[in-house]
Amino acid sequence: MWTEKYRPRTLDEIVDQEEIVSRLKSFVKAKNVPHCIFAGPPGTGKTTAALCLAHDLYGENYREYIMELNASDERGINVVRETVKTFARTKPMGEVTFKILILDEADNMTEDAQQALRRTMERYSETARFILIANYSGRIIEPIQSRCAPFRFTYLSREAVIERIRYICKGENIKILDDGIEAVLELSEGDLRKTVNILQTAASLGKPINAEVVYSVVGRANPYDVREMMLTALNGDFIAARSKLKELTQKYGLTGIDIIKQIHNEIFRLNVPDKWKVKLADIAGEVDYRLIQGATDEVQLSAMLAKLVEAGYEIKRGL
Amino acid sequence: MSSGTTFIPWIRKYKPKSLSEVVGNEEAKRKIIEWIRSWEKGAPGKRAIFIYGPPGVGKTAAVEALANDLNMEVIESDASTYRTEEAVKRFAGRASQYGSLFGMKRLIVFDELDGITGSADHGGLREITEIVKSSRVPVILIANDAYDPRFAVLRNYCLLIEFKKPSKSEVMRHLAKICAKEGINADEAALKFIAERSGGDVRSAVTDLQALAQGKTRLTYEDVAWLAPRDRKEEIFNVLRMIFYAKDASSAKTAVNMADVDLDMLFEWIYENIPYHIKNPHELANAMDMLAKSDVYRRRVKETQDWTFLRYVIDLMTAGVASSWSRKSAGWTPFKFPERIKKASISKEERMLLSEISRRIGKKCHLSSSRAVREVLPYLRVIFQSNPEMAKEIARWLDLTDEMVAYISREQ
Repeated sequence: MWTEKYRPRTLDEIVDQEEIVSRLKSFVKAKNVPHCIFAGPPGTGKTTAALCLAHDLYGENYREYIMELNASDERGINVVRETVKTFARTKPMGEVTFKILILDEADNMTEDAQQALRRTMERYSETARFILIANYSGRIIEPIQSRCAPFRFTYLSREAVIERIRYICKGENIKILDDGIEAVLELSEGDLRKTVNILQTAASLGKPINAEVVYSVVGRANPYDVREMMLTALNGDFIAARSKLKELTQKYGLTGIDIIKQIHNEIFRLNVPDKWKVKLADIAGEVDYRLIQGATDEVQLSAMLAKLVEAGYEIKRGL
Repeated sequence: MSSGTTFIPWIRKYKPKSLSEVVGNEEAKRKIIEWIRSWEKGAPGKRAIFIYGPPGVGKTAAVEALANDLNMEVIESDASTYRTEEAVKRFAGRASQYGSLFGMKRLIVFDELDGITGSADHGGLREITEIVKSSRVPVILIANDAYDPRFAVLRNYCLLIEFKKPSKSEVMRHLAKICAKEGINADEAALKFIAERSGGDVRSAVTDLQALAQGKTRLTYEDVAWLAPRDRKEEIFNVLRMIFYAKDASSAKTAVNMADVDLDMLFEWIYENIPYHIKNPHELANAMDMLAKSDVYRRRVKETQDWTFLRYVIDLMTAGVASSWSRKSAGWTPFKFPERIKKASISKEERMLLSEISRRIGKKCHLSSSRAVREVLPYLRVIFQSNPEMAKEIARWLDLTDEMVAYISREQ
């Protein structure tokens, strides 16, 4: 996949994020890295920066010195107690005296696991340095935050993304039109991973990429998007909206939490009075909480859809 | 069929006699054997093993089978006995130091260790730890969760062995064996359904099988798939009618007691049917809200294991739903079979496949499985459908099986 093929391998190859890159380069130079938190929105280069840092620090065989864990998949305390500890406590061979543990999506770790992690970070800091990657650093417990150097990643500039798109198109020998680039930019919302995925999918059709091609592949990729389900409910058709919900969970494998997040994103873009936006956000918050507590996805989300039906009805009556 | 043999629970009748007959968990079994063999050369470093894992996966059965294999005398204590310091000492103190009277080898087993309580079993864990440290005979501890902080000290002296839920096909094979011995010709789909419902709990799968198949010579998918509703469709319809069109809140509530209907099943029926009967948007929103709250209590029952919460589950799904609308029927509307149940068995298979696909994507693309599903898979579907050349390359790179490729390439 192009996201991997074109993922920068060294700090020098990273586009944008200059300040962060220069700080990381100074770590390489000093051959010392503190514990770090890389925070910022998706697709802005956090994981890439961590891998590039390791590459520059250890050289081509950097894989032997790092461990990559994704906290969303392995969020329990046992992983910290076993896998992490085993990795962290032995000293690596070579010039650099510590290994690096990259913990992706660290904000999804349970509080217990974070507490355990904090001890591990302390105890083995001689032999292992941790890079915690998160969308929101606020969800990482204070004691860990205070042990880490914070790095704030921001969306890439428009120019940097365009440059990257052109670079890839050149490398793959494909033709992209200006309106195609615009469409990719619009749909990928500053997320470089999404940008590259959309680009590759558009290229898979085997014709020059224009706006129409881009919209059509993205439309095919997300045929029943959450927004459409919400609009169906607002228009009063609960049964149809509920089948769309089923489709999202059963065919496309989205979890309830994925869906409620997307619902929340859409609420403020809906064409409904502000009063209702706030009301719906409140309801979404309650549903989100219940889902995290382990309630049944479809039942809770259906109740949310019924509220949308009610909202649509009231709005039509001018309430 | 003589009544004398009929009522032996199958779970006992088909208890494994040898460790090799225990369903699944090959690695755990291997470790157990290795450890017990190490005793032949005198007491090993770890004098106890700590077997842990979810209920019904064969932990106790494995230990009993092992003792049977090696013809050992078992000294066993479970949650039904007091396990204070005194009691433990009395029960295992001597036994752990001396050989058996009849020259048999001896095995000390502490089962259901989770059930040990601080107050009623005062000092028990400490004493067990002491015994483990110095025992001259093998000791086996069994619990659901070895990582319970209470076991922190004890754990250090034990070899931990995890029992995992056996896979669906392992459970199926076990069920098939039982059917063969009982002379039941069972459809694969029927056994699959039972295995799936059990979620890896062999004990509950065998119990279900007995309830559904005992006395039959043939077991079809239809016999099991509709579980409750097949025989009791009429009954369910009556209950639903009494809930949806109740005269008042109390009579909606009592509807549940009128028939022996599984509550989760009834919940699904109500969920499915609400929008076909309750059309007014306000009423619909209220009714769904009640049901969602009932669902929250359902969760609390599971979480606290306190069944008294069930009363709120029932209140909200019956009286709650009934009282949220006018209960005026707009003509005859038949009740529909809950779709969630019909579909569940199909999508679970796919779910397994999907989760493996997303794991592979996640690994290569530095993403969690759930983000791989959300952010990469939708694009892969389009690529796989429109560009076989590119798809082939990606499939090779991701190391996808043919089945996975077929799944991704399929039109949704």
